[in-house]
Amino acid sequence: MSRQLQGVETLEGTYLFDLARSSGAMRLNRFLHGLTRPENRDLFKSDPDAAFDKARLTADERRMVRDLDWAALMRYGASFFCLEKLGRVRGVSNPEMVAGFRGETLEEFLKTRRVPGAR
Amino acid sequence: MATILGGIGTSHVPTIGVAWDRKKQNDPDWAPLFRGYEPVAQWLAQKAPDVLVFFYNDHATTFFFDHYPTFALGVGETYAIADEGLGPRPIPPLKGHAGLSRHLAESLIEDEFDIATWQDLPIDHGCHSPLTMFWPPQPDWPGRIVPIEINVLQHPIPTPMRCFKLGQAVRRAVLSYPEDLKVVIVGTGGLSHQMNGERAGFNNEEWDLKFLDLIERDPRALTAMRHADYIRLGGTEGAEIIMWLAMRGALSEGARKIHQNYYLPMTSAMAVAVFEEPRSAARDSRGVALARERE
Repeated sequence: MSRQLQGVETLEGTYLFDLARSSGAMRLNRFLHGLTRPENRDLFKSDPDAAFDKARLTADERRMVRDLDWAALMRYGASFFCLEKLGRVRGVSNPEMVAGFRGETLEEFLKTRRVPGAR
Repeated sequence: MATILGGIGTSHVPTIGVAWDRKKQNDPDWAPLFRGYEPVAQWLAQKAPDVLVFFYNDHATTFFFDHYPTFALGVGETYAIADEGLGPRPIPPLKGHAGLSRHLAESLIEDEFDIATWQDLPIDHGCHSPLTMFWPPQPDWPGRIVPIEINVLQHPIPTPMRCFKLGQAVRRAVLSYPEDLKVVIVGTGGLSHQMNGERAGFNNEEWDLKFLDLIERDPRALTAMRHADYIRLGGTEGAEIIMWLAMRGALSEGARKIHQNYYLPMTSAMAVAVFEEPRSAARDSRGVALARERE
């Protein structure tokens, strides 16, 4: 690990997005990034399996995306910023995604916030 | 010759742009944020800069991990608003200053800062979510921008010191531009937040306020810190505040903070600060020589 990052490994519940994670989840992140294009969004909304086929996602990747299993997607190596695109397409806000990473419901997470309405 | 009037550090949380698009100025949940940007907008209206040079990060929108640039300078005449999954924000395309961009590219490379260049690509909220708060289109943008992307997404990312040095090199470049342009430097990102893992939702107001103090008074203390320090104190995503160091590096040591706002409603601390150059520094046409002397 580089001198810049020594010590990060001791932080609990932290998935640093580095070249190894990026490489391991390239196919999934490419699919998620592709949701910035309307034609890919339309296909994903109308025929998710066709969209998954086009992106050659594995069965595991398809399940996580279909179920919006945010915690599993994060563990797998998804970039948060690629997941954000999926959140927007499926109408899920960032606080709801964060709640998913924490293993909480949105309501539980909002109780920990100062201004729960600022979403 | 071009002059640098000052700098702005600002968060770029996407909801800042959404709140503006949805006109939430009087919504009690958002009013403290809007109020905090009003003095910034007034300062810019009074100073009337021609160009904002923007240190910002892309969010795997314009660029993807098949080729993620560490530092990349926009050299276009215009930049479309990026589609991040909901279609582009309803704001006009950003106007670039290609002449200043080309000069920056030449000057930076002459200065041994070998920066990548890009054009004809859209820009995401990392640049324009806060921009509408302090430089709103009326109906078009009041001036032009020069965007400089910094990789803070995929480690290894540039060191805090390297970001500061990029800012210094950009200062030398701007001050050697022959046209009489008034320039303000902007650095976006932060403050504390983490958007991954069970630690997601982490904030640290004490550290945020210390950062807002040090960025004015003692940026060298911040350039001496490592990414691991920033991540521990401000969260993995909060570590992107190294982009404020690029902005600070482009200002003189004597730049003074004249406004600050801090608001932590949800997952990300939202801050904005304005730094004004001392009159002499802003007006001195020998700014290049002075900047070199300080190194």
